Amino acid sequence: MSEGLRQAFDLSLFWDYRVILLHGFAVNVLVFLCAAVLALSAGLGAALLRVNAWFPLRWLGTLHVEVFRNAPDYVMLVWVHFVLPLIIGLAIRRRVEFHPFASAVLALGLVYSGYFAETFRAGIQAIPRGNLDAGRAFGMSERLILWRITLPQVVRRMLPEALNQFISLFKATTIVSLIAVPDLMYDVSMVTQQEMRPLPLYTGAALAYFLVIFILASGVRAFSERWRRKILA
Amino acid sequence: MSAIPRIRVVDVHKRFGTLEVLRGVSFDVHAGNVVSVIGASGSGKSTLLRCINYLEKPNSGEVYIEGEPLGSRLDAGGRRRPRPLADINKMRRELGVVFQQYNLWPHMTVLGNVVEAPIRVRRLPRAEATALAEECLRRVQLTDKAGEYPARLSGGQQQRAAIARALAMRPKAMLFDEPTSSLDPELTDEVLGVMRELAADGTTMIVATHEMDFAREVSDRVIFLHDGQIEEEGAPAELFVRPKSERLGRFLSKYRK
Amino acid sequence: MGNWERLVWNQRDALLSGFTVTVEVCVIAFAAAIVGGLVLCLVRLYVAPLRPVAVVLIEFFRDTPIFVQLMWVAYVWPELFGFPRSFFAAGWIALALQSSGYLAETFRAGIEGVPRGQREAAFSAGMSPLQTFARIVMPQVALASAPSIVNQFTVIVKSSTLISVITVPDLMSQSQRLVNIWYEPIEILTATAAIYIVFVFLISATGKLLADYLRRRYGLAMA
Repeated sequence: MSEGLRQAFDLSLFWDYRVILLHGFAVNVLVFLCAAVLALSAGLGAALLRVNAWFPLRWLGTLHVEVFRNAPDYVMLVWVHFVLPLIIGLAIRRRVEFHPFASAVLALGLVYSGYFAETFRAGIQAIPRGNLDAGRAFGMSERLILWRITLPQVVRRMLPEALNQFISLFKATTIVSLIAVPDLMYDVSMVTQQEMRPLPLYTGAALAYFLVIFILASGVRAFSERWRRKILA
Repeated sequence: MSAIPRIRVVDVHKRFGTLEVLRGVSFDVHAGNVVSVIGASGSGKSTLLRCINYLEKPNSGEVYIEGEPLGSRLDAGGRRRPRPLADINKMRRELGVVFQQYNLWPHMTVLGNVVEAPIRVRRLPRAEATALAEECLRRVQLTDKAGEYPARLSGGQQQRAAIARALAMRPKAMLFDEPTSSLDPELTDEVLGVMRELAADGTTMIVATHEMDFAREVSDRVIFLHDGQIEEEGAPAELFVRPKSERLGRFLSKYRK
Repeated sequence: MGNWERLVWNQRDALLSGFTVTVEVCVIAFAAAIVGGLVLCLVRLYVAPLRPVAVVLIEFFRDTPIFVQLMWVAYVWPELFGFPRSFFAAGWIALALQSSGYLAETFRAGIEGVPRGQREAAFSAGMSPLQTFARIVMPQVALASAPSIVNQFTVIVKSSTLISVITVPDLMSQSQRLVNIWYEPIEILTATAAIYIVFVFLISATGKLLADYLRRRYGLAMA
């Protein structure tokens, strides 16, 4: 076991390949950023549908949220990459293929739009109705009320929770290697096949992710503490 | 006094589900006048005010702002059609509203609250709106709190800020929905003082209130609402001293010290 | 569509066996996570010398992505520790580790959320610390955390889809095997996705009902 331990923590191998692995990590970050944009916008859209006065729109929003929130990331990833192009291809009678990066962004973005939608919805419904009445009384259009009164308060209120969901999304990007997106885990498995030494590589990956996420999560925790105190003063 | 009343309410009915809250309320408010609406809780005072600016849509009846009906308008062909919401919004600019819960927007400073509608709805340039806001804050004696967030203000200060916010739109009339009911007794005087000054300046006001002294001393007319209908109305000197209806008499005796 | 019948309904045995494996792994992982989370939490709170160890472990299990943990447990642990000897075990161990980190924090919040006055009342009545803990604190923690715990189960179910990568024959595995045989992914994968979504939805809905029931019965606001 000590031989194994020594091998596992012989991170020099991990260090040797650091350039490639760093590239892979950058791919994770890129996937994260693109998916985050999609998740935020689709999530906001779905949340607004959920609080709409018209029942069919509400139902649509709920459907969106329940389908994507309850779908496992990996299942959605595989489905978007392998099934969706075929369905579209059938509809337009042409062969369609998705670039793995696009599939990854689309799949993760949609899944997390479900989580964000719930976060936004809770924030929207927490705004005292009087705030909106005052806006209407002054002749503000619903759109103006949304942008100037509702959304600023939603962001302030839900920022800590949203940050946590961003961290979850970032962790979720580790699965994109499974549809051949050349991220960190993909590179690790490639190098492993070459070097035949999984211990230091997978240990290194685990430690690397742990460090990055730990720093981010701690930062978010500290920030959220101060933020909540400031907002709820 | 012009012939057309600033605000005319005609036979307004309002129902919530099976509960009938307003059962045919009609009255006029002329320019420069102060009309107080008194009545027990549940008599429909708040609902009446909320119907006047169509925060609640009346089930029947109409509200006229200087002769224009809020609920309908003539279309291009001269036919009467329901007024779209965007249009109602435009007309709402002419009515300033002060709510019982102040309803200041918590994520903006006091000054931010006051300039928001003038800038976004009346589209005033920021400099002009700021000058206007500062004047309104001066009128309610809140100049030193302009940069504060509402959470740091007392109830009385928040309500005065809300009054400044409504004034900044230069409305044709001001609606006060029980403005002092949420305030601690020590704080009501500062708000009532501001309201008295506004009345003395000739502001057209409709005030739903429990403050009988204010109603008696400042109003031109008083309306007593009971169970969704006007039980009695008239000049304060008569209403308070020689109430015609027995209910009003009992209601007033509860407030007599 | 005839395809649905051919590809999905006729293969239901394979899919069912996969689903069974999924449920097995998830249930075992869930039980282990509750135990592990409880142990970590109690050590962190009450065993002073081991506190830093517990804190680091909790952070490590929470912050490392599940896929990375899975690979690590499946490929590194056997050489390091001699176990797990099967990929099935690697699967539930990795899932349990990840969730135990979250549950440890949930339990900690629950324990710290019990008003101090309640402990004082118990002590004043002559109860020992252990009795107080078992009869007063933990029942409330269990009730208050129940919705979060149910939620962790949905997390486990959703994460369990990855164990197909380490060749555990779960539902995902079976459906991918079928796709490789029949080369027609649309019906099979869509049906698989639907099964997972409905399954997780049902668990979530149960959790919500549970939360509502607890709130009504005990007036507990934590969820």
